[in-house]
Amino acid sequence: MKKSNRKLTPWLYNFPAFILIGIIVLFPILYTGYISLTNMNLYHWQDYTFVGADNYVRALGKVDSGFIAALFTTILWTVVNMVLDVGIAYILAIGLNVEGLRGRRIYKTLIIFPWAMPAYVSILAWRVGMYNTEFGLLNKVLVALGFEKMDFLSKNVPAFLSCVVLNLWMSLPYMVVMFDGALQSIDRSMYESAILDGAGAWQKNWYITIPSLRKVMAPVVIMTTFTTFKQFDIVYLLTMQKGAVSGSTMQTIITYAHQNAFVSNNYGLSSAVSIVIFVIIIAFSAWTNRAAKEV
Amino acid sequence: MINKTATLSVKKRIRLTCLNLFYIGVCFLGLVPIIYVFLLSVSGGGGALKTGLSILPEKFTLDNYRRIIVEEPFLRWLLNSVVLSVGTMVIAMGTSVLASYAFSRFRFVGKNASMQILLLLNAFPQILSMFAIFRLFRLMNLLDSHVGLIFIYAGSMCIFSIWNMKGYFDSIPIEIEEASKIDGASNFQLILRIILPLARPAIIVTAVMVLIFVWNEYLFATTFMLKEESYTLAGGLYQLQANDYSRSWPLFSAAAILVSIPILIIFFCFQKYMVSGLTAGGVKG
Repeated sequence: MKKSNRKLTPWLYNFPAFILIGIIVLFPILYTGYISLTNMNLYHWQDYTFVGADNYVRALGKVDSGFIAALFTTILWTVVNMVLDVGIAYILAIGLNVEGLRGRRIYKTLIIFPWAMPAYVSILAWRVGMYNTEFGLLNKVLVALGFEKMDFLSKNVPAFLSCVVLNLWMSLPYMVVMFDGALQSIDRSMYESAILDGAGAWQKNWYITIPSLRKVMAPVVIMTTFTTFKQFDIVYLLTMQKGAVSGSTMQTIITYAHQNAFVSNNYGLSSAVSIVIFVIIIAFSAWTNRAAKEV
Repeated sequence: MINKTATLSVKKRIRLTCLNLFYIGVCFLGLVPIIYVFLLSVSGGGGALKTGLSILPEKFTLDNYRRIIVEEPFLRWLLNSVVLSVGTMVIAMGTSVLASYAFSRFRFVGKNASMQILLLLNAFPQILSMFAIFRLFRLMNLLDSHVGLIFIYAGSMCIFSIWNMKGYFDSIPIEIEEASKIDGASNFQLILRIILPLARPAIIVTAVMVLIFVWNEYLFATTFMLKEESYTLAGGLYQLQANDYSRSWPLFSAAAILVSIPILIIFFCFQKYMVSGLTAGGVKG
C-alpha cells in the first residue's frame, strides 16, 4: 500500500499542471495536426473531408502558395537580425566596460528602457511615431534635410529593413545586458598575464574575450535566435493589421500561417504550415542542442 | 618622461570623451521613440498632425489623459487586466509550483521524458494553435469569457514556470525537508511551511513574469474577446489604434504611456532577478 502510494505521489502533484497543459497546449497541437489533413475552410466549417497530404503538397510543392518564399524571408530575417544583434551588442558591451567610463550605470539603465516597454506599445509607437508618412519623426527629419517623404512600410525591401531596425531596437538591450554580465564574469588575471606577454588590445579580444564569452553566451544567442525566428508581432503590427494594411506583401512563416487561418480562412493549409514550422523548430533545436554540447 | 605620461592621459581623456558622447547618442536613439510618444500624449488633440521638425508641443496639456480615462472604457479595461493577471497568476502558479516541486524532489519513471516533452511542447509557437483553441473554445462555449482566456494564459505560461522554478527547487538542500519530516510534518504541511518560504524569490520572479506576459498580450485578448467592454488594456489599446486610424493617435499615446508606467516600475524593481532568471531558464532550455 505504502509503496504504490509513493509511486503515485509525484503524479498527484503533477496532475493539475498536466491537465492544464494537456487542454491548452497539447490538444490544440494534435488538433492542428488533424485539421491539416482536412479541407476545412469557411465553406467547409462542419462538413470537411479528409484530403490526406494535399495541404502539405500545396504548401511545400507549389511555389505560388507563398510558403517557400515566406520561409526564405524568415531565414533571411533571422540571420540578418542575429548577426547585427550579436555584433552591435558585443561592441556596445565592450565599450561599456572600458576602464574609467564613469556614466556606465546611467547608460545601462537608459539602454534597458526599450526592453522594459510592452512590445506591442513599442511597435505601434514606432509605426506612428517613426515610420508614419504624416507625422513620423523619420519623415520629419527627411523633409527638414530637403528630401522627399518616404513611405517606409509600403514596399517590401524598405518594410523589411524597417522591421529589422525595430527588432534591433527591441532586442539589443537584452543582448547588451547579457554580454555585459558575461564580460564581467571573465577572470581579470587572464588579461594581466596577457599584457605581461605583450598582447595588444586586438589579441586580448581575440584570444581571451571571445573564447570566454562563447560558452556563456551560447544559450542566450540560441534562445534569441528562436524568438527572432518566431517573431510575429513586429511584421504583423507594422504592415498587416486588419484595416491598416501598409502595402508591403512581406510574409514570415508565422504571419503566413496566421494570415491563412484568420484572414483567408484556409484552415487546412494554415494547419499544415503550422506543423511544418513545428518540425523545423524541433529539427533546429535538436541540431543546436548537439552543437551546444560541443562548444 | 613627464611629458609622455601627460600626453597619454590627454589621449585617454579624449578617448573617454568620445566614448561618453557615443553612449549619450546611443541612449538618445534608444529613448527617442518613447520620448516622442510622451510628447505626443501631452500636446493636445491635433498635435500629431503638425508638420515641421519641432517635436516639442506648443502647449502642455493633460487633456488626452483625461479623455482616455473619462471617454474611453479605460478603467474597465484596467479592471479586466487586473482580473486576468491575478487569475492567471493564481492558476499558473498553483499548478506549476506543485509540478516543479515534484520534478525536483521525487524520482519517478518518466520524469526526464516528461520534462523533455514539456520543452518540446513549449517550442510550438502558440499563435499557430490559436485557431485550434478557437474552435475548441467555441465548442465549449468559452469564447468571450475571462475564464477561458485565463486558462489559455495559464496554460501557456505553465511550462515556462515549471522549468523556471524547478531549477531553484534543485538548489534548496534536501536535508532541511528531511529534518522536518522526522519531526512529523506531512507532505502538504512541508510544502506550505518549509518549501514555499524558502523558494519565495523564485516564485515571486516567476509570478511577476506571468503578470507581465498577461499585461502585454493583445492577440489572444482581441481574438477571443468579442465585446469592447471585456477587453484587457492591451486589447483595448490595440483596438483603439485599429479602429480610428488617424484621429486617436494622441489619445493612443496617452494610453500607451499609462499602460507602460506600471510595467516599467515592476520591470526596474525586478531587473536584477529578471536577468538571472532568464539566464537560468536559458541555460537549461
